[in-house]
Amino acid sequence: MDFIANLKNAHITGPVISSLIVMGIIIIFAIYIGIRAHFQDPLKKPKGALLLAECGVNFFENMAEGLLGKRFRSFGGYIMCLGIYMFVAFIFGLTGLPSPITYMAVPLSLGLSTFMMIHATAIKYNKFRYFKRYIEPVPLFLPINLISMWAPLLSLTLRIFGNAISGFVIMSLMYAALKDLSGMIFSSLIASEWSQVFIAPLLTWIFHLYFDLWSGFIQTTVFLSLTTIYVGQEIPEDLIGA
Amino acid sequence: MQADAMRLLAIAITMLAVMPSALGEALVVVHAVDGISRNPEVYGKLRTTMILGCSLVETTAIYALLVSILLLFTK
Repeated sequence: MDFIANLKNAHITGPVISSLIVMGIIIIFAIYIGIRAHFQDPLKKPKGALLLAECGVNFFENMAEGLLGKRFRSFGGYIMCLGIYMFVAFIFGLTGLPSPITYMAVPLSLGLSTFMMIHATAIKYNKFRYFKRYIEPVPLFLPINLISMWAPLLSLTLRIFGNAISGFVIMSLMYAALKDLSGMIFSSLIASEWSQVFIAPLLTWIFHLYFDLWSGFIQTTVFLSLTTIYVGQEIPEDLIGA
Repeated sequence: MQADAMRLLAIAITMLAVMPSALGEALVVVHAVDGISRNPEVYGKLRTTMILGCSLVETTAIYALLVSILLLFTK
């Protein structure tokens, strides 16, 4: 019971709840696809949602193959996991609830998972030689190398977060301005605060199209490409082309 | 009052970083168009690369926007 009482007192903000909703949507969809795939006859053509999922898997695996080579085609699973969550989280802003990406912790955790992937790959292929990179070219460079280690994490996180928050702020400013404009024009006709609602629905959808859909798609693609390139840098060159 | 004015000035200086970013994006597009006019078959491939490159170059402007939004809303 203590747990529930603590949960009530905890400060759970809106973006955390919408992040949970996004995860729920993706989990339900994934379970549905899993059940469909289990009972699907492999000799028949897939239909509907299963076809969509197969196209998605193919797309992400081709993306991994294009940047890392045929041997790392299975890396598509990792970037598909990141990419679907990020894109759904971006377009979740269209529902009017706060998009999870506008909460700093969400892009930071996405960046952290990529950061750990980079270093895990480096340790996997370099073994103990991995630690040599921190004292190169001379041991005097240790503090500088330790700081520059965090650069990919910061740039990945801030790129996504900055894009989402700037879109969010611009949309908020636009809603406020259009509300006032509508109030100014229609207040002589309708003598209540309902005069403020007329202009915003006519104009804002096209900006939502840009800031949520287009920007979300582009930033997701950039994040996935950067992830793949950063990981690819740690793989020895003779493995990449094979 | 004085602090407010200084903060607005700081935002204005921060947003100067958008200018080179716009020039960089223009360079990306210029060279992409050059490539397409020289070799029209690569249009499809070059467009994807151009959009990716544009959004990478855009990052600097986004950082500036982020910093200025932070400056604007934190008192």
